[in-house]
Amino acid sequence: MSRPIGSDRRRARAGVPLALVPPAAIGAAFLLLPTVALLIRMPWTGLRALYNDSDVSSALSLSLQTATAATILSLLFGVPLAWMLARLRFRGLGLIRAAVTMPLVLPPVVGGVALFLALGRFGVVGQYLDRWFGFTLPFTKYGVVVAEAFVAMPFLVITAEGAFRAADRRLEEAAATLGASRLTVFWRVTLPGIGPSLVAGTVLCWARALGEFGATITFNGSLPGKTEVMPTKISLALETNPEQAEALSLILIVIALVILAALREQWLRPAVSS
Amino acid sequence: MTERQPFEVVTSEPAPPGLAAAVHVERGAFRLDVEIGADPGEIVAVLGPNGAGKTTLLRALAGLLPLTDGRIELGGTVLDDPAARVFREPEHRRVGVVFQDYRLFPRMRVIDNVAFGPRSRGVPRAASRQLARHWLERLDVAELARQRPPQLSGGQAQRVALARALATEPDLLLLDEPLAALDARTRAAVQGELRDHLAEFAGPTLFVTHDPLEALLLADRIVVLESGQVVQQGSPHDITVRPATDYVAKLVGVNLYAGTASSGRVELDAGGTIVIGDAELAGRALVALRPSAITVHTTRPDHSSARNVWPGRIDALASLGDRIRLSVSGAPSAVVDVTAPAVTELGLGRGQDVWLATKATDLSAYPEPS
Repeated sequence: MSRPIGSDRRRARAGVPLALVPPAAIGAAFLLLPTVALLIRMPWTGLRALYNDSDVSSALSLSLQTATAATILSLLFGVPLAWMLARLRFRGLGLIRAAVTMPLVLPPVVGGVALFLALGRFGVVGQYLDRWFGFTLPFTKYGVVVAEAFVAMPFLVITAEGAFRAADRRLEEAAATLGASRLTVFWRVTLPGIGPSLVAGTVLCWARALGEFGATITFNGSLPGKTEVMPTKISLALETNPEQAEALSLILIVIALVILAALREQWLRPAVSS
Repeated sequence: MTERQPFEVVTSEPAPPGLAAAVHVERGAFRLDVEIGADPGEIVAVLGPNGAGKTTLLRALAGLLPLTDGRIELGGTVLDDPAARVFREPEHRRVGVVFQDYRLFPRMRVIDNVAFGPRSRGVPRAASRQLARHWLERLDVAELARQRPPQLSGGQAQRVALARALATEPDLLLLDEPLAALDARTRAAVQGELRDHLAEFAGPTLFVTHDPLEALLLADRIVVLESGQVVQQGSPHDITVRPATDYVAKLVGVNLYAGTASSGRVELDAGGTIVIGDAELAGRALVALRPSAITVHTTRPDHSSARNVWPGRIDALASLGDRIRLSVSGAPSAVVDVTAPAVTELGLGRGQDVWLATKATDLSAYPEPS
């Protein structure tokens, strides 16, 4: 670049009211401070002992399992749902869109209560599960999966819907003229075409499922070794064993950092208006 | 027997093996209303300006756009006939399409792009790849098999797209502006190759273009489309020598005059008279005059064999590469091509009065199509 650095700097500054800088700095500090504080206060020397608790490993393993299962469920049902929202036009579509958005705006605790009324032992659907199969969902690890999927799936659906909407329809036409059935077009052209967005949505969904607390604890309680996942364990540990809560938080922070690093292309790149 | 629509293709005789289509599509205010056919081995160019409906026609034939009315029949099979409620989806037509932007699948290797068609039509994986390799070889791009489309040049992508379309062994090949996406230099090279490859294809080929040169060089027959209607069709020679409308004349770069002919002269509607060689021609007539068949003089050429001599004034000069094109107003007005040295020698410039001359044998006069 032959342009002097000075002119670049001047250009970047041009048109920015300086009065916006202090609140922006406060905002950034506010978002960063809690994580920094957690790292400062971390009982680094006693970590090993804190992690040796068998409840910790079972909570971590259950968290990873349920979040993964919830993500798989979300993929199986959410991707077709996203496709439908992006591509089909019919009456009642608005209602479905509202249903997808609902878990995003609903307080997760309320989501948990609602799940209870739907799928609990005496719930609208749950009573039949109990009567016909002798199966109750709440307070089991399957219940954890369901609660996590309820809260996390919309993240995948919305990401995938946007990608389906933006996908290159011209390639789908080309595939059709080559003799590909609609399902083949979907599998071999549409889906690979939205690959990056799908990965981002899947990771986002998994991260949300991993951190799910409100709906999970309302629907399933927090039974050690059975339904106790990392967030619920952290919340309960904060009252009895704050150091353990901090140590467990560290694990989730590390996972969050790994995700952030993996998706930096997707999220950390400044959005450019096209 | 239900009442026949006037445009319906009559199929009482044995079905022709090529393409026979009456394409009627309405999209808002736009109406495409075209009857078009193509025999096996024939290369038909659909020539027209942007917005004439060329791409719409192609999409209708490919099944990407259902007809509003009409009928498409290919090799004796009806592909679309709204009146009879017949519509074959694109995946069930044997129609190969080379899109203007090629539309290669960017994440698949070239070989998988070409194998996609056979694979989708149920050919086993290994056989599909074999077939793909065969077509890549035929189009001289076998060495690209393992590349991905974003790595290809425009000319390479075009050949791969053609290989991909041909690998499905279509009964009809459609090309949308086959050379438009190429830069000028590649274009000249690819043009010749494309002509050879298309000549090898046994079925009917139909391509659309807005470039008259492309149509003249590649096609056996040209169909000129204007505002959704066919305004003329014929061999490249017919079209250049006897353009039927002003638009076609402009497209092929010919002066066209309408007028009334009698005893070897045509009284032009726009003013002026032109002497023609044909004394038999009478009634409404068109006169086509190539810009290079007109000579320019700064004084009246008194001793000339030219039968037509008339005065005019130069309105504009434009460079056409090796020639200079003059727009001369007069009765009639004309565009005239002269060499660059001639312009300097005669000292031609804007606003200058000149004399134009042409021989009766250098023009073509023919009855105006009704």
